[in-house]
Amino acid sequence: MELTTPPRLGLAARWRHLPREARDTLFLLAVIGWTVLPHVNHLPLWCTALTAVVLLWRTRLALTNAPLPSRWVLIAVLALAAGLTLWSYRTIFGKEPGVTLAVVLMALKTLELRARRDAFVVFFLGFFLVLTHFLFSQSLLVAAAMLGSVWGLLTALVLAHMPVGQPSLSSASRLALRTALLGAPVMVLLFLLFPRMGPLWGVPQDGLVKTGLSNTMRMGTVAEIALDDSIAMRVRFFGNPPAPETLYFRGPVLSNFDGRTWTTGIASSAPARDELRATSPGLDYEITAEPTRLFLIPTLEATSAIEPIDGLTARRRDTLSWGTDRLVFNRVRFKATAHTRFEHGPQQRSPSLRENVLLPNGYNPRTLAWARELGDHPRMANADAPALAQAVMQHIRTAGFTYTLAPGVYGETDERVALDEFWLDRKEGFCEHFAAAFVVIMRALDVPARVVTGFQGADPMPIDGYYIVRQSHAHAWAEYWVEGRGWVRADPTAAVAPDRIVRSRNLVPAPGFVAGAISNVNPELLAQLRQTWETLNNRWNQWVLNYSRGQQLDLMKQLGFDSPSWQDVALLLIGILSGLALLGASWAWWDRHRQDPWARQAMQMRRSLRLLGLAALPHEAPRTLAAQVHQQYGELGAAVAGQLMALERQRYGHAPLTRPSAQWLRALRGEVRALRRSAQHAPR
Amino acid sequence: MSSIAAPLRSVLHPAAAVRRRFRAWWQARLPRTDTLLLTQRNIYILPTRAGLMFGVTLVVLLLASINYQLSLGYVLTFLLAGSGIVSMHVTHNTLRGLTLHLRPPSAVFAGTSALLDVTLTSAGRARFGIGLSLESTPGKAVAWTDVPEGGQSSAQVSFVPPQRGRHDVPTIQIETRFPLGLFRAWAIWRPAAQVLVYPRLEQPAAPLPAAHPVPGGPAARRSTDGGEVEGVRSYRRGDPLKMVLWKKAARTLETTGELVSRDTSASVQHQLWLDWSHCTGLAPEDRLSRLATWVVAANRAGADHGLRLPGVEIAPGQGEAQRKECLEALALWS
Repeated sequence: MELTTPPRLGLAARWRHLPREARDTLFLLAVIGWTVLPHVNHLPLWCTALTAVVLLWRTRLALTNAPLPSRWVLIAVLALAAGLTLWSYRTIFGKEPGVTLAVVLMALKTLELRARRDAFVVFFLGFFLVLTHFLFSQSLLVAAAMLGSVWGLLTALVLAHMPVGQPSLSSASRLALRTALLGAPVMVLLFLLFPRMGPLWGVPQDGLVKTGLSNTMRMGTVAEIALDDSIAMRVRFFGNPPAPETLYFRGPVLSNFDGRTWTTGIASSAPARDELRATSPGLDYEITAEPTRLFLIPTLEATSAIEPIDGLTARRRDTLSWGTDRLVFNRVRFKATAHTRFEHGPQQRSPSLRENVLLPNGYNPRTLAWARELGDHPRMANADAPALAQAVMQHIRTAGFTYTLAPGVYGETDERVALDEFWLDRKEGFCEHFAAAFVVIMRALDVPARVVTGFQGADPMPIDGYYIVRQSHAHAWAEYWVEGRGWVRADPTAAVAPDRIVRSRNLVPAPGFVAGAISNVNPELLAQLRQTWETLNNRWNQWVLNYSRGQQLDLMKQLGFDSPSWQDVALLLIGILSGLALLGASWAWWDRHRQDPWARQAMQMRRSLRLLGLAALPHEAPRTLAAQVHQQYGELGAAVAGQLMALERQRYGHAPLTRPSAQWLRALRGEVRALRRSAQHAPR
Repeated sequence: MSSIAAPLRSVLHPAAAVRRRFRAWWQARLPRTDTLLLTQRNIYILPTRAGLMFGVTLVVLLLASINYQLSLGYVLTFLLAGSGIVSMHVTHNTLRGLTLHLRPPSAVFAGTSALLDVTLTSAGRARFGIGLSLESTPGKAVAWTDVPEGGQSSAQVSFVPPQRGRHDVPTIQIETRFPLGLFRAWAIWRPAAQVLVYPRLEQPAAPLPAAHPVPGGPAARRSTDGGEVEGVRSYRRGDPLKMVLWKKAARTLETTGELVSRDTSASVQHQLWLDWSHCTGLAPEDRLSRLATWVVAANRAGADHGLRLPGVEIAPGQGEAQRKECLEALALWS
């Protein structure tokens, strides 16, 4: 027998010729793939591979209409996945292992997609997977991608409930979209008025490595942050923005040095005992800060007051930083007042300063010797702290130091002389090197000094007036103590790279391929695109992501509540919902008398005909009624009978109307009136 | 479910028995009608198991959103909640305003399934995923249909009537889960129509009883037909088509414009009486079955047949009307 090869079909044609079930399954698989895809970054490689293999396998089964694998295969694969999860994370609890397992479960569930019940499990897992994306990012892009996922899942759900024939994907997706759009007002209402509360139980610490401020500083760590172009916070000033060189945002203060690592000292967690002596008027500003994952929120130096933050208690510490009562795991927005000219810290030498002059033994002997030499110099015989600081800065300016983000590794052979190598040999480094060396030298000269970390500078955004502080603005500077004045800021980096401070130029890392191509063609365009995008993102952050109890109460104030509380919010929500329910109930009551439109028309017609003295019983067809009219009125009733025959044609004739026409009823009534008039006058 | 298990279950679960009685009482209240307009007075709606699961999913999503302070989590949760609420209305709307009409069901033999043909009419929008099923049968087959915008569609459900007689059409259930399957809206419909059920046909069929000569019949008949070839007469209304002599008819059509049939009465000269007393030794119902089988066979053979039952006698005749009359008598005999 000769084998004939089936004609090759185009992709579109093959899609059209797929059986309904195969097509629906493929659609669902595509939606699942789309939902899982953004997780690839967070998943171990084996999980991505396993998911891809399973989804492709299921695709093949759908295309060939082959039987699904037995349950034992699934159980074996699931056990393998659980084992691999355990191997990857050492636990199966927590965010990342949970997401991994959820992805695997989702993929495996498609392999036993038999009954409608199984389909529902896939849908619910799908919605849950959508949510897990928000644990990692809530950006506009993720939101848009997940909106697509939700739409796809709803479409698949609608398809599953259209059992007849082969409904097109587009009609199902339209129905799903319509459902979601009709539900949108409910969503907006609930989003605005559902009472916001704090976390119900402790947020598990996750192993996510995220660059940002840290409680510790080691040579080289800040360089990593400098490569991170993501946004750390947004600042808005009410009034004139301060000069760029004064834009110091204070983070952790590091006063403890063990030779290798700088850590926060005792004072950093103590509440402020020292007053902040402002010498300039207050400057009001607002910060929307990304999660710091520290007991701290970054503030403009020197912030004297912060308006209460929703769900967070912030207090000024001894170090002038603002500490919080819990780890800041969410984006916070707050208004505060800062002073650009100020003094703080003890004016007299006090025991609290003692930890700020400690230096570990046996570290960096040559730098300490260099410092002693400076202090022993006749010119410095009775120099005070500012004069000593001035001398060190002068040295940095003149001794051939270079500012670079890639200075190489110091202390590779002997960690204890890392600073020596920097200060005396290679002289290449960035902020953390300069700040650390400055502090060590000041301490060697018996001047209390410490390292302050935070951000310096910001990108102004002319479009919406927000300043953007990126992770790459992260900076480290120094403070030393002066008798009678307190702590004084010294930024040794400014001595070598004033540009870094004045224009707050962060070193932009090599852009990606696309960005590179665009900037080659038109650098302005890239900047503009980026500004527009970030403005959009900011709106998103301010209005959607940052909507919290504070904003909720603001909204209530605008609605006319004097001093709203969250109970008022809940009451308002309940009130609106019950109002809507009542409206629905009254509509339902009104709708109780709904009738078939033809039946309604027939009733009105009969009422009209009864004026002519006809019985017009419900079962009588228009034709019968026309005959009765003719019998009773003869030629006079021809018009009314004609209308009735027209109805007969409208309803039952060729191309009947789907709905009764209102004109017809008006015409009939007109004819009935005319007939009554003429019947009264005409002799019978 | 086996027949033993059902009463056992009702003993073990008195609630089931109560529920059944309540359902029977409730349905007895519904007026019987062949045309039903679904309004919110006769549509019921409840969440499905999947709907309850959906609710649980929403709670989990909400808890996760609260705990991780996810604004987008709130957005997702509330979007799904809104869609769920809308889907409830859509599900209800799918049935509301729908008109159902049952065509008069045709008679069937006991043991064969009777087809109920329901026409669904939507005056307004298109409606999807409407299922019809018989309310009484558990694990029932559902006939699904879509109703086009401003149009009609039909759906058939069938049931096997248990015994002969005139039966009420069983209660029909109309349901839908469209669009998301979170809610199930349904209505209970008791049509007014009745279905006539003939006795069960005998398997295998017993041979027809011997026909008896008609006393004086052929002679009288021959004289009225006068001059015709024996066994052929002009076509009369009601003659079965296979009795038509087509070759001869082709000729006679040209001359007289008439068809000719084989004159069975002339050739057979017998009359077939299907008599209750022919089936001795059988239970009454089996006798009726045999008689019904004979009626069908006699009709197929084109023989004149009459029927005698205690208290009933139908004069011999043939054709569809005769068949109907006989079978009806058998169906309703008591």
